[in-house]
Amino acid sequence: MTIFLVLFVVFYLLSAFILLFIKMKWGLRLIAAVNVVIIAALIALFAWIAYPILERDGLAVFLKSDWNPPRESYGVLNALVGTLITSAIAIAIAMPLAVGVAVTINELLPRKLRGVFGALNDLTAAMPTVIYGLWGLFFLGPLLQKAVNVVALWLGLGEVMKAPSTLFTASILLAIMITPYAAAVIREGYALVPRHVEEAIYAVGATKFETVLVKLRYIKGYVYGGLFLALGRAMGETVAVAMVVGGNFARFTLNPFEGGITISSLIALQFLNAEAYQFMVPALFAAALLLAVVGVAINAVAIYILQRTTV
Amino acid sequence: MKRLVNILGLALFLALGVLAVAPLFLIIGDVLYRGIPAIIRLGGILEFLTGLPPDPTSEKGGIGPLLVGTLYMTALGALMGLAIGFPIGVYIGTMRKEFFANIARASVNVLVEFPTITIGLFVYAVFTVVATDVNNVLLGPLSDWLAGVLGDWVRQFIGPLAGFNAYAGASALAIVMIPYVALVTASAYASIPDSIREAAYSIGGSEFNSVFIVMRKAVARALLTAALLGTAKIAGETAPLLFTAFGNYYYAPFTERTGAVPLWIWYAAQTPYDVLITSAYGAAAVLLLIVLALFAIAKLATRER
Repeated sequence: MTIFLVLFVVFYLLSAFILLFIKMKWGLRLIAAVNVVIIAALIALFAWIAYPILERDGLAVFLKSDWNPPRESYGVLNALVGTLITSAIAIAIAMPLAVGVAVTINELLPRKLRGVFGALNDLTAAMPTVIYGLWGLFFLGPLLQKAVNVVALWLGLGEVMKAPSTLFTASILLAIMITPYAAAVIREGYALVPRHVEEAIYAVGATKFETVLVKLRYIKGYVYGGLFLALGRAMGETVAVAMVVGGNFARFTLNPFEGGITISSLIALQFLNAEAYQFMVPALFAAALLLAVVGVAINAVAIYILQRTTV
Repeated sequence: MKRLVNILGLALFLALGVLAVAPLFLIIGDVLYRGIPAIIRLGGILEFLTGLPPDPTSEKGGIGPLLVGTLYMTALGALMGLAIGFPIGVYIGTMRKEFFANIARASVNVLVEFPTITIGLFVYAVFTVVATDVNNVLLGPLSDWLAGVLGDWVRQFIGPLAGFNAYAGASALAIVMIPYVALVTASAYASIPDSIREAAYSIGGSEFNSVFIVMRKAVARALLTAALLGTAKIAGETAPLLFTAFGNYYYAPFTERTGAVPLWIWYAAQTPYDVLITSAYGAAAVLLLIVLALFAIAKLATRER
């Protein structure tokens, strides 16, 4: 049975490449379908593997916070809430930064420095995530712990952050990592503002700052599109988050200054033990299915916003 | 007053922009500042690049097997990603008006944003379904025959695959790379004026000629950038390898669990042992330099026009 699957893949790619050199249009169409096939197969396969636990518990898998392998009880709510908290904080920090990057590159820097600044921003996106994780674990985490506790003591709240690895650390790290993705989209929109619009704004006596604000409002579709793309990144980011999030599977928490867990880090950290339990693999695939479906939905929104926007 | 607001507002934007880039310098500085002494402490550059990873009790060690695994899987993944991603990009970039091209474009955009861990899980799931039959029917006889013809070393590369292996890792990396290549290629093809395309047809060129030969000069640079940036991206990917290559600490055949530098950093940084954390920093410095080199070449290649 499965050998047919492999033969199908080999046959598919072979015929795509043969067509490519004979009837190019059809070859290109056939090979472009690879993406659609991958996405469809991914969702179907995840649903199939996750089926046992979905059949046993229904949607309760996503709605209870109890993660207790010895009793074969798996709830993903902790991770879901952790994902929402971290990505919300990350987005709130990353969006102003991304807008700042776009404005800095397009308006403020001298022409020669723009390319360099843009390249630095691209490099921030291209850095391996595991290096972010390493840095977050040994540099950012302890630093944040000190800083937050100093501020909290000054406000009279006591020591709020008891460990260097918390949901908050993960959020800050995520904010640094997703800023360039949002910035790239905003930069793209910013460059599209027509010259005559800009001249019209200056002509009514606006200062440069006011012009920037008007132009940002003019491209707000791109700003929202960038926001959703960055949100998708923030929710799916795995390794860096798993290293600094604290790995707290058991206890439900809404406090960002405590250790927590996100969906993707739950999968990364628990998969090694999963084979030993009956329902853990299905539970983790259910979590991955949720992640994939949410990811597709967020991207659909982003693509819709970006395609509807005309500057 | 108006001028004051102007200056303050612009200064705010500038501060935000600089704040967004500043962590990059902190990270590179931190990794090199701790990584280079770590390499020296663990036995020097040569020992570090070829030696076996340290265990908690040892004084010296390196990342030899992991570097080999990373280079092998990245090269294979980059080749596969280019071979599939480039035609997709050509299709999306040249036949923009077709209905199916819009679907393909949307699917590429979705795939580029897909959490990489789900891609690793996908390859793992597909491989567990397929493994037994492929090994028994396809790879087993093939490697027996090749070993008879070429010698026994072939079994290191082709052979019955274990549950985790370098080829699953490379496929996961290829899936990560496909959309990157496709998007860059598509925008390069889309930026070619129609007049050039028409000129190619008018001198009697076939479709193949117009797409690949006439536009070769115009897109070669974009393709090079896509290849280098995509390779830099997948060289540092960890999440897709967690369930496909799995990691290993010895020089092992590629048909079994294979080590990778990012996987070692991920594992060693989370242990409490000093020597392992030191080696994680050394490995991070090596990985960072590889990625920086690829990135710099890509940027320099696009700059000269």
